[in-house]
Amino acid sequence: MGNDSISVVLVGCGAVSRFFYAPSLVALEASGLLKVEALVDPAPANIEPLAELFPQAAKVANLANLPLASRLVVIASPPKFHAPATIHALKSGATVLCEKPMASTVAEAETMVAAARASGSLLAVGLYKRFFPACEALKGLIEKESLGKLQRFTIEEGGKFGWQAASDSFFRKSVTPGGVLLDIGVHVLDLLLWWLDEPEAVRYEDDAMGGQEANCRIELTYRNGARGEVRLSRDWQTRNEYLFYFERGVVRYKVNEAQHLEIMADGMPTLLSGSLQNASRGEDRLRSGRVARTNPQSFIEQICNVAAAMQGREPLRIPGEEGVRSLRLIEQCYANRRLMAQPWLTPREAEAACRLSEGGVQ
Amino acid sequence: MKIALVGASGFVGTRMMEKWLLEGSFEVVPVVRSYSSLAVMARFDLPWQVCNVMDPAALAKAFEGCDAVVHAAIGDPGQIERMAESIYRAAETARVRRLVVLSSASVHGQAPPPSTDETSPLHERHAMAYNTAKVRAERILNRLSASGSVEVSMLRPSVVYGPRSRWITDTARQLLDGSACLIRGGEAICNGIYVDNLIQAVELALTVPQAAGEVFLVGDAELVTWRAFYQCIADALGVGMESVRSIEPPTFARPLKERVGAITSLPVTQKLLPLIPSKLKRLTKVVLANWQETPAGNAWTLPSLATACVTTEELSLLQQCEWRLPMQKAQTVLGYQPGVPFNEAMRRSLAWLKFTGCPVPGII
Repeated sequence: MGNDSISVVLVGCGAVSRFFYAPSLVALEASGLLKVEALVDPAPANIEPLAELFPQAAKVANLANLPLASRLVVIASPPKFHAPATIHALKSGATVLCEKPMASTVAEAETMVAAARASGSLLAVGLYKRFFPACEALKGLIEKESLGKLQRFTIEEGGKFGWQAASDSFFRKSVTPGGVLLDIGVHVLDLLLWWLDEPEAVRYEDDAMGGQEANCRIELTYRNGARGEVRLSRDWQTRNEYLFYFERGVVRYKVNEAQHLEIMADGMPTLLSGSLQNASRGEDRLRSGRVARTNPQSFIEQICNVAAAMQGREPLRIPGEEGVRSLRLIEQCYANRRLMAQPWLTPREAEAACRLSEGGVQ
Repeated sequence: MKIALVGASGFVGTRMMEKWLLEGSFEVVPVVRSYSSLAVMARFDLPWQVCNVMDPAALAKAFEGCDAVVHAAIGDPGQIERMAESIYRAAETARVRRLVVLSSASVHGQAPPPSTDETSPLHERHAMAYNTAKVRAERILNRLSASGSVEVSMLRPSVVYGPRSRWITDTARQLLDGSACLIRGGEAICNGIYVDNLIQAVELALTVPQAAGEVFLVGDAELVTWRAFYQCIADALGVGMESVRSIEPPTFARPLKERVGAITSLPVTQKLLPLIPSKLKRLTKVVLANWQETPAGNAWTLPSLATACVTTEELSLLQQCEWRLPMQKAQTVLGYQPGVPFNEAMRRSLAWLKFTGCPVPGII
């Protein structure tokens, strides 16, 4: 391992750390780019599985007494703890990579951004789907209008909830203020903001009746006339696909298929469904390289980008200011929420659902 | 009345929770096996309990203060049997008065012989392991309640449909992708019950004193064929019934994995498994994982235009049912009269399907 490898402090050893950060950090330790110095979690039982992967790392219950200057602090605790931990780390001179959603509220997120500005430290937000080659390709298609202007889109994402939550805090409104919108919706809205910028109008409805929403629907319209519908669910298996209708063709991105796209352009009698590859285009030659980044490789690439930004080799791709944008849109949705019509309910049930949805007590 | 609902995150449990909470019928304590099962019920602010349903001590704690328990949990055949005992023992420890169990009409088989009713003798030689497990679970509960303090009432519904039901989603998907088929034109009887009608029967089983110690077949009021069931969904989707092929009952060879699974789940095999070297077990798993049930096809064929027909052994047997399961006992003892007629039940089910984003032009 090189002497100049970056020291990492991993805060929060729950599911996202076990399934995403730990394998990424193992790979990056092996490459010599990083070394994990400390694992932080108030529950020792959460730390143990990760301690086996990083035996040299200190095991601590909180950030307070750790030296953090010049370290990369990865915040992967529940969202309500993101702001205090991030601000403490930034003030201590650390670079922070904060997992999505970057905070529970926009106000908290803005405090985090202000802390980054005041301290001069870097604050990155974990929105790794922007690193998917398929999402990068879609951005190119939308911006360059290769298939003409985008006219409309439909997005369906989600399925039966399968995440191995370690406690019920994820479903308690008092701890996690939102449901499916605050969970997978963060990624979806972040991608939409990245691809299309701010929508002109948003209409939002969900099925929360005193708790967190399991289903929601968003209608968006844009200044250029494009419009779209987003349906998210933790309840039933959706099609898990993004469909973009351009003037001269349709493009489909299947959720989490980082290196795969489907295109049916005008004039093509069949659908082209294939893997993305790195390539270079010359005057008279097309040189194809290796298959583009996979889903896990995109997660690793996100951490690499933060490390490169710390070393001054690359600009930070998703700074705190970008993380606030999707959170702001989510807050706008919640502020203007309406209860989804649930047409299988009896009139008496529907009336009670409205009462509960508006904060009434059954 | 305070009720613990085991299996509150399943298809029936989800609707039961929703209905009882919104109608304020009962005070409900949902009981589920894992935190991830909370995702849909978290729409409400609830005092849920997460515990291992195979652990009577943990379950008894979850049942504390409840007057009754409803067992609507599903599982594999082994779990179905173990849960029956575990839930009964926990209810007894928690001094619960009554346990209402969602058994299944499949204890009589998917295509029961004419004259089948609650008094028909049950057997444990069903082709489908699920049926046998349900029979065994009923027998376990009968044995325990014969000497125990908890009253048990069991319901035997057949095809339970409604919002979130596979009978709606799978049929719609098959109709849309052209893979739907009906055994012999679908003229056999679909012993269906809309989920709200089942909940109505559960409410009666919870409250009617004479329900104790009894088992009831329950269904919708109307006699409906499988063709009529499919027709309702096809009409709403705008799909013509001519696209639904009529087929003869296929034969179902058990896949090797399922046959091995049936043997390994036997109690006697479970006792012997620790004696088998782990290397041999690993090797067996690798062989099973890579086992090719059907040989690779011939590449030199014309492209097929037709989508392959989809049916399962369970569906194929159900679509050969020629006996309308009676519910006179439920009507006489419980006073059960299904509240939602078939057409309205299908309208609500399909309205839910439309809610999920599926194109259902026939539903406004």
